[in-house]
Amino acid sequence: MIVLDHVSKSFNGGETYALRNLSLTIEQGETFVLLGSSGSGKTTILRLISRLIEPTSGTITLDGQDLRAYPEIALRRNMGYVFQGIGLFPHMTVGENAGIGLRLIGEPAAQREARVRGLLDLVGLEPDAFVDRFPGELSGGQQQRVAVARALATDPDYLLMDEPFGALDALTREALQEEVLKLKAKLAKTIVFVTHDIVEAFLLGDRIGVCNEGRLEQVGTRRELLKHPKTVFVRALLARPLQQLEAFRELQ
Amino acid sequence: MSALNHVLSVLEQNGAELWLRTGQHIMLTGISTLIAIAIGIPLGIFATKRAWAERPLLAGVGILQTVPSLAMLALLLTLLQQIGAVPAIIALTLYALLPIVRNTVTGLQGIAPEIIEAARGVGMTESQRLRLVELPLALPVLVAGVRTAAVVGVGIATLSAFIGAGGLGQFINRGLALSNTDLILLGAIPSALLALAVDGSIGAFQWGIETRRHARTPMRIWATRLAASLPAAILIVGAIAYWSSMGGGAARLVAPQSGESQRGTLRIGAKNFTENLLLAEMIAQLLETHTKLRIERRFGLGGTMIAHNALNEGAIDLYVEYTGTALTTILNAPTMQDPEAVFDTVRDAYASRFNLVWLKPFRINNSYALAVRRAEALKRGWATISDLAAAADGLRAGFTPEFSQRPDGYPGLKRAYGLRFRRVYDIEAALMYRAVAEDEVDVISAYATDGRIDALSLTLLEDDRHFFPPYFAAPVVRKSVLVRHPEVRTVIAPLSEVLDDAVIRALNWAVDGEKKNPRQVATEFLHAKGLLPETAEKTTGPR
Repeated sequence: MIVLDHVSKSFNGGETYALRNLSLTIEQGETFVLLGSSGSGKTTILRLISRLIEPTSGTITLDGQDLRAYPEIALRRNMGYVFQGIGLFPHMTVGENAGIGLRLIGEPAAQREARVRGLLDLVGLEPDAFVDRFPGELSGGQQQRVAVARALATDPDYLLMDEPFGALDALTREALQEEVLKLKAKLAKTIVFVTHDIVEAFLLGDRIGVCNEGRLEQVGTRRELLKHPKTVFVRALLARPLQQLEAFRELQ
Repeated sequence: MSALNHVLSVLEQNGAELWLRTGQHIMLTGISTLIAIAIGIPLGIFATKRAWAERPLLAGVGILQTVPSLAMLALLLTLLQQIGAVPAIIALTLYALLPIVRNTVTGLQGIAPEIIEAARGVGMTESQRLRLVELPLALPVLVAGVRTAAVVGVGIATLSAFIGAGGLGQFINRGLALSNTDLILLGAIPSALLALAVDGSIGAFQWGIETRRHARTPMRIWATRLAASLPAAILIVGAIAYWSSMGGGAARLVAPQSGESQRGTLRIGAKNFTENLLLAEMIAQLLETHTKLRIERRFGLGGTMIAHNALNEGAIDLYVEYTGTALTTILNAPTMQDPEAVFDTVRDAYASRFNLVWLKPFRINNSYALAVRRAEALKRGWATISDLAAAADGLRAGFTPEFSQRPDGYPGLKRAYGLRFRRVYDIEAALMYRAVAEDEVDVISAYATDGRIDALSLTLLEDDRHFFPPYFAAPVVRKSVLVRHPEVRTVIAPLSEVLDDAVIRALNWAVDGEKKNPRQVATEFLHAKGLLPETAEKTTGPR
């Protein structure tokens, strides 16, 4: 369980805030989606949770303990992180990339290799065909599958995914979303998933937090959001897909 | 065909030494580049990790780069109190730092922030991130910096010969001193080829390490390994060339060279021009024949200060200096006209200040003198420097850099005669005679005993205001050496009986004009004067 308690974050000494007085609880085992446009602060929340940055004020607790009490390196190794855009190391093979977390904790090469092969299989990549290739030789979708495998390698309790599929074409994105749903069922991890795509958010999220200008507009299940949008912003946001659909129909 | 034969004969005569000098050159460049890598990469990493350090560090190594190479060598010579490979390697290392530090910083800073964030995010410590991600990704840029440093180093290393560190510059240096184009090319062409080879090998190394991991076929894997090992291969060839040529004396490249000379060995220095080399060579041959001393030749030192410092600090034991030069350049005393007074002054000052002994001077007064084309002097009625002063504002002067600066050179001359030339060019001593003969300049700062004055139809102008002090040549020796080997004085003494201005001018011309080997010229002369037995043909050691 991750609890953010009145967390604020400013990158310029208080002139402007990326996050403002934000409180949020992510339950054990749920997939929590942070939905918002770019600049809304959703990536900042992920970075705070993995302690890549520290909050300006407020506290974050993980399983009841203050985040700052954890050694930060150990903390990160217990959180699989799938980064926005590139995040694979271009000079390492697929196998080395997927196994990096295991290497960092000193796992022997033989076990690492077996685990990596299993993970590649899990994310839908044929191990023999991919393990020795370099990220530059892979399609965007294949790269993201490797990134997911890497995040899962150390069997972390938490999975942080930052717009992992944002740069992919629609078909590949749908395929990967299917994979995530399968993984979710199979692995029972707590997942924090950041996206700007409403459909993706509704598809994957047990609960959804709508971010806007450093604040949480509303948190709830997709049903709650659709039925009872609390703010004008949420209402407008949820109306968008329908408007697009109508515009599309008119073109026909 | 004859040109080819000429090249072959030059190579045949100098083959063994070319092998040695190439080896030295590779070792100088290689060792300094390796040290610069060992220092520069950590510095670059430090500058990247600590933002406050970046500017001062880059500025610091940048400033090092702007110090002229010869000035750097002279400075290190004074600081380290020794000549030879150590100051040369330090100078080369300092020059190599800038490209290596800068490229390390550029390479590390050029890594995409997303990659850094990912490295942190997967739980790497700072050192893991550096080792596993940052350095491997910066490697191509980093190697490019090393490549620049090494290629530039090959060029700068040619100057190391000025402080007795050897290398291919030794040929260039000697060729300049002796006006011998063959020797200049013998140094210049191999060092240019070496620079190309170094550039190519590091380029291949770069290709090898970048391609290695992507290579799939055994053939290609083998090719990448071969390419990546080329720089090491060049270093090994250099080491073999060096050690095979030096035999047991190999340790000399790195062994300390300052302090007292070993028992039984005498190190003779010479400045970088024909007459000084000839006199040093004669002294060397006399001592080799008539004493049991082992003689080391440290010829081609790049200027009065370098030679003097080398002697004063014990890197050499003896060299031939000129009284007027010592008076004005070393002692900074006002000029004097009486030869006896000048000699007494420098002898006493050297004894009390440096513990150095002036032996009996030769009857050679290698004075500075202004030289002009003889035909021009006749036409315009120039006999004295005063005559010239009247026309000076229309004339071009070509002076050695040393003459332009020395108090007994142009600055003093200007005051004494109130003359001011239209333009003053800095010209290497070896080149100025031809420059005036070919009407590229009108007047030069000649040496009075240079054989080229007659040979190129030049004439010397009379110093009618007696500005130039006498410059009598005499051996200067470390006192401790003379105490231990008093025979040095008696063996050299007969030389002053057989040498005078006319004789040395002819000998200088034999080298500068007739392109004879200075060692051979010295031997023939000493034979003719009965100072060497006819049978004693000494040809050992590198020339």
